[in-house]
Amino acid sequence: MLISVNWLRDYVDIPDSLDVRALAERLTITTAEVEGVEQIQTGASGLIAARVVSVGPVEGRANLKKVELDLGGKSANVVSAAPVLRVDELVVFAPPGASTLETGKIKSTTIADLPSEGMILPGSAIGIPAADQDAIFCPPSMKPGEAIDAAMLEDWVIEIDNKSITHRPDLWGHYGIAREVAAILGKPLKPYPVADLDDLSDKKLPEIPITIDDATRCPRYSGLKMTGVRAQAAPLWMQTRLGHVGLRPIDCLVDLTNYIMADLGQPMHAFDGSRIEGIEVGLANDGETFTTLDGVERKLSGEALMIQSNRKSVALAGIMGGLESEVAEDTQTILLESANFEASGIRKTCAAIGLRTDASARFEKSLDPNNTVLSIQRFVKLASAEFPDLRLASRLSDAYPNKLAEITVEVDPKLVARTMGHPVDEKQMIDILTAIGFGVESKDGKLSVAVPSYRATKDISIQADILEEIARNVGYDNIEPRLPEVQVRHFAANPQHITERNALRAFCLGLGYNEVHLYIWYDEEWLKRLGFKPEAGPMLVNPAAAGQEQLRSSLMPGLLQAADRNRFHADAFKLCEVGTVFKEGPDSKNQSRHLGLISARRGKGADDELFATLKGDLETWAWQMLGCELQYEHAKDTATPWTHEHKTANIVANGTSIGTVSVCPLAMRRNIDEHLSAWSIAWAEINLDQLHDFRVESKPLRRVPEFPEVELDFSLLIDATSPYAAVNDNLARFDDPLLRRITYVGAYEGKSVPAGKRSLTYRVLFGSPERTLAEDDVNALKTSFEKHIGGCGYELRR
Amino acid sequence: MDVGELQQTLDKLHQEAKGELAAAKTLDELRSVRSKYLSKTGSVGSLMGTIKDYPPQQRGEVGKTLNSANKAIQDLVTEHTDRIGSAEVAADAAASTAFDPTLPGERTRLGSVHPVTAVQWEVEAVFERLGFTIEAGPEMESDYYNFEALNIPQMHPARDLQDTFWLKNGMLLRTQTSPVQIRAMEKFGAPLRCIVPGRCFRYETIDASHENTFHQVEGLMIDRNVSIANLIAVMKLLLNEVLQREFEIRLRPGYFPFVEPGFELDIACLICNGKGCATCKRTGWLELLPCGMVHPNVLKAGGVDPNEYGGFAFGLGLTRLAMMKFGIRDIRVVNSGDLRNLVHPARWAGPVIVDKG
Repeated sequence: MLISVNWLRDYVDIPDSLDVRALAERLTITTAEVEGVEQIQTGASGLIAARVVSVGPVEGRANLKKVELDLGGKSANVVSAAPVLRVDELVVFAPPGASTLETGKIKSTTIADLPSEGMILPGSAIGIPAADQDAIFCPPSMKPGEAIDAAMLEDWVIEIDNKSITHRPDLWGHYGIAREVAAILGKPLKPYPVADLDDLSDKKLPEIPITIDDATRCPRYSGLKMTGVRAQAAPLWMQTRLGHVGLRPIDCLVDLTNYIMADLGQPMHAFDGSRIEGIEVGLANDGETFTTLDGVERKLSGEALMIQSNRKSVALAGIMGGLESEVAEDTQTILLESANFEASGIRKTCAAIGLRTDASARFEKSLDPNNTVLSIQRFVKLASAEFPDLRLASRLSDAYPNKLAEITVEVDPKLVARTMGHPVDEKQMIDILTAIGFGVESKDGKLSVAVPSYRATKDISIQADILEEIARNVGYDNIEPRLPEVQVRHFAANPQHITERNALRAFCLGLGYNEVHLYIWYDEEWLKRLGFKPEAGPMLVNPAAAGQEQLRSSLMPGLLQAADRNRFHADAFKLCEVGTVFKEGPDSKNQSRHLGLISARRGKGADDELFATLKGDLETWAWQMLGCELQYEHAKDTATPWTHEHKTANIVANGTSIGTVSVCPLAMRRNIDEHLSAWSIAWAEINLDQLHDFRVESKPLRRVPEFPEVELDFSLLIDATSPYAAVNDNLARFDDPLLRRITYVGAYEGKSVPAGKRSLTYRVLFGSPERTLAEDDVNALKTSFEKHIGGCGYELRR
Repeated sequence: MDVGELQQTLDKLHQEAKGELAAAKTLDELRSVRSKYLSKTGSVGSLMGTIKDYPPQQRGEVGKTLNSANKAIQDLVTEHTDRIGSAEVAADAAASTAFDPTLPGERTRLGSVHPVTAVQWEVEAVFERLGFTIEAGPEMESDYYNFEALNIPQMHPARDLQDTFWLKNGMLLRTQTSPVQIRAMEKFGAPLRCIVPGRCFRYETIDASHENTFHQVEGLMIDRNVSIANLIAVMKLLLNEVLQREFEIRLRPGYFPFVEPGFELDIACLICNGKGCATCKRTGWLELLPCGMVHPNVLKAGGVDPNEYGGFAFGLGLTRLAMMKFGIRDIRVVNSGDLRNLVHPARWAGPVIVDKG
């Protein structure tokens, strides 16, 4: 929202010496965030009002007009580009010798072979937003030749971040901002200038009949009829100020309502008074169509609140008026509406029809119902100065069925000071609150704080709210930082956090993986390339892009996509992600944390090696962070396209299946891209949620044996199809009092191993705690172990 | 063999050994020559076993003769060990003159964590030292925890400030880490000190400075007599530790329904040190984190009595902080999975000789 400093000066004496940027900074730290400060400089001098006497065409130049002007006692002929000029209207004119920053110094000149003695100024030259070359029109109260006060054209504009005042309905107008500025500067706030309606009204005037169907949706509706208005330009000072705050001047009546909206924050609407007798506030008929004054026909639901006259809709309450009842060129009587609507109802309707206006944006903030009457009084005050024939045509009619409750908050000054952590005495609190309009009574060490109506609609209701008012006006920068003094409390560690941090430490700070963060939704295009159709999962109503509706059930599609991206820039890499995967169902339990790993290398044929080193990485992590050995089971479920039909294992830790390790099948790599088929890729995905109960227990370390031990290696030739785990089970059945340990050394397939066989090498450690083994002992043990191997049906490789 | 013959034999063996030892070029060769003569089965060593064959009165002399021959050869071995050893030392010294001890080492690739994780760990470390526990919460969250319990009822305008990803099953993607405030209060009650790092989601158009997926860390401290002065001190400490510089900070009013009063915390602009530049829109300040004193309604929703306890809460943008720390200009790289953007070239490509950015 834009705030004009000239406008603020109507309500508070801002010293000329005060730097506006410094004031803006004070506003930022005390009240609301200022996004920018702009100085408006037009450099105007010598401008006057001029009356249009005649308008004629310029031959061959459709965009130009030949205009004769009355400058008050003398006339001038100019050539103008202003698109609309009517005889007898007054325009802002720069005679030769006048100047503005935009036009430079004006000289008599010749345009299209015609003499032009001056310039009808476009709005942009004096800081008023207007279309194209539109002239700026002066009100009829001005006289031809009358000088235009250049000082009002110079201004400073402060832009306030709308998001920082969503909770402050009072700050949506200049008067509210002025109240804050007055408190900041320690100056009085001037009373709001309004007309006393009793002075203007004839006591026999009729009441406007107002019916409110639902007092919750419309707590208050005030209206006033007046005659003697006409279509004319608003006063230049008002047009200028509207221009400075980004509102385009249109016509005096419209400008007046806009001005008061920007002044007090209260939107108003002027109906053509000749077309409306009584007012009813009620719901639209479900499916009703209504044409708003922007010319758009809108279909409404039965929840939309309407302003009706004789039960015929004339305005979309709080949002926009209707086309039919709009004030027109010939309007002489208006019915001025100033009402209060329930914020959430306005929000709902705006959302439903997809229309937000300056008015609805304000009603959504829960406006002060007392402003309905105040704004009407303000309108009459401003309008009487512009329309000499203005007469009231009704009494001020005010339906207020749902009175705003008065709020009084009990405040404990000691608690306030303690919560601030800063010494503030009761008097300072009272001064601060009084300056911003609160009523304060002190008794028995407590403050009884009456909340003004413009802060009582929603903003302030509890002690903490009052505390904020005091603290922000004391200034947060005046509070001395102090670390808290607390009682120690022990919290049980969060297993999810520990498990994830440990996984990242192991894989990314030691085992050579680079961590990535990827999106939690699938990309349909990519899934198609993978050849993957996921099971039903949670679907987004409003995805970031079409085809990104479904939340991921696995980390692998994303990681594979990242791998596909990185393959252009590296010959080998290992990726790691810790992230959330989802299952369908409206419960936050339907999600778990997974660890995804990819090991990729350029070149065919390294799948098995990558598979083996990836498993080695998993085992290192499991040993360090879970305190256990991993087992592998040959996996039968190979449903996803990135899972190899044969080269896939379930990873088992302490008897629990915790994930899968596999290599990417060639078929899938080929599906994605021909080039990817020349890569080797292994991957693993682990469900970290299953690891929360794992504890690394300190295992007793072994003493160096007192008597030397003997190590013997045995290589077994087994069928290539028999799984390692079964061989282990068989070897584990060997029992001898001198056996200390059997460990796996490695597998070999190649030259000296017959086809269809695999050689597995084991190291067997023998020893005794009582003596050194004799050669005979060793030979006996060797024979006994070889016999056991034979008994299991395995051949010994010599 | 009488004693005289024995002496002759030993003299001959001595001469042979002397020649062979002199010819040896390596310590291995030397060891095998030594073994040939002096081991149990060697030509001199084996003679030791014959002492018992001599008459008792000669055994003393034979023993002496054998020992002295043994010692003479052993002395030669020692002498040649020194010769060969010195030669090896000299050769090693000669070969080392071209060695460059300043070449970089050969590295083991240890991997890397994501920049956001790196910053997250630093923040966690600061708070762990202050006795905060680290909590976690779900990303698919309910309306209740994300909004209702945080004092943002249906149709509250604050819902507009956070465009939400809604799910067809009625859940949503959490727009903030704040729902874990409620979950943590439910779990631990008061007093409570915790932080919650995690991913959040907002329905926004992505560009160089906006992402729909980003990390925050939530902080919550509940105790008796927690003050605004405490909040400022903790925030100042956090930022000074994580950014490793002393920073001016300031609080100004900010509106968030789950705190009262609510603040925006700004830090003096890192680029211009508060003088005013394009990055800080000439204000000298950068908006960094929203914070405030926990709203009584939020305490109630978490089962904590607001008459007894109060506290502060904050929500730090971890992604933003990581961008500041690592000089990431375009937020889109954060979720790109592109290692060129996420890993420093020195870790990825090896020692950097010239780096012009």
